[in-house]
Amino acid sequence: MSADHKFLIEQIAQGDKQALAALYRALERPVYKFIVSRLNDPHEANDILHEVFMDVWRSAGRFEGRSKVQTWIFGIAYRKSIDAMRKRGRMDLTDETPDMADDGPDQETCLAAGQEAEHVRHCLETLKDDHRSAITLAFYQDMTYGEIAEVSGVPEGTIKTRIFHAKKLLMRCLSGRVERGVA
Amino acid sequence: MTYQDIHELLPFRANGTLEGADLDAVDAALAEDAGLRADLAALSAIRDTMQAEEVASPGEFGLARLMRDVEADARVSTPAPAAANDNVVPLMRLRIWQVAAAVVLAVGLGFNLPQFGPGTAPMDSAESEPAGFTLASGGADADFTVIFAPDATEIEIRGLLLDAGLEIVSGPSALGIYGLGLLDADSTDTAFAALSASAIVEDVQ
Repeated sequence: MSADHKFLIEQIAQGDKQALAALYRALERPVYKFIVSRLNDPHEANDILHEVFMDVWRSAGRFEGRSKVQTWIFGIAYRKSIDAMRKRGRMDLTDETPDMADDGPDQETCLAAGQEAEHVRHCLETLKDDHRSAITLAFYQDMTYGEIAEVSGVPEGTIKTRIFHAKKLLMRCLSGRVERGVA
Repeated sequence: MTYQDIHELLPFRANGTLEGADLDAVDAALAEDAGLRADLAALSAIRDTMQAEEVASPGEFGLARLMRDVEADARVSTPAPAAANDNVVPLMRLRIWQVAAAVVLAVGLGFNLPQFGPGTAPMDSAESEPAGFTLASGGADADFTVIFAPDATEIEIRGLLLDAGLEIVSGPSALGIYGLGLLDADSTDTAFAALSASAIVEDVQ
């Protein structure tokens, strides 16, 4: 798959519009899912997705092949999402994590909560952007922590810490909703 | 590897991307710690839920929009032949500026001239043209006269003119008629064919 994407990028760099269409069809859905998870606005996510693939079209010739094509494209989407949030004035630029005791209920409760898509969606939205982004790339896209670090432009250790805190906050939120019986 | 390290790697055990020493260390910890196993089961359930969620992505509509803008982008950014002399403005850039200037001039004239109306001196000077059909710029030497579709954008018009080797020499008139001049006098047939085939041209003479 990765080799196919790389071949498509090489073709796009030569001006091949059909290769761009093939790459779009292959990656449009996961990239859109990632963007909309960050912006929570389907219309704006639509525009950002469009801009991402216009950037792919214009800069395919500068892709050096040091990372996977998917990682490169998600990096573009990551940066464009940040720009969009900055324009809205919604960007939380700190990397601080609120102090919290690990006093959640038992794991079975969490597991039950994890099976409820609505609970997961809600709790993801309560996370800070950099936490949500990291957990989204790990669980929606099954990226390695190295790939997530590359997409986000931060050290691997930062990603591990973000995901660790995101996981705790997510579990706490899910447990709380299940305990309160939120539908 | 510390307990914190194991917990930091656990989500990557859940998504199946751990390898080598990291994987060995986490698996060893899992074998000894039931709480850690429950934690992993919860993370796996969350991951499964997230993966199963469907989103309505733009799909083929998004692709159509992308292809449309890529076409427009390609027209505007077609590389120009290298200039033989650094003091000479590249032909493509010159054409873009010619077209841009002509559009600005034409829009300005089109807006201002109708204000004089029939019977005033400026309109009376166009005695040979029936009222309402006079080109706003005064009937310069146009090789073609065209009417563009009302929803044609400036980018589409510019792209067509560049492709066909044309520039706006007059217009728009009160009826939206533009006069177009050939940049290369020998390309009359090609330019006419391009105008005739274009979806943004309603009429060409």
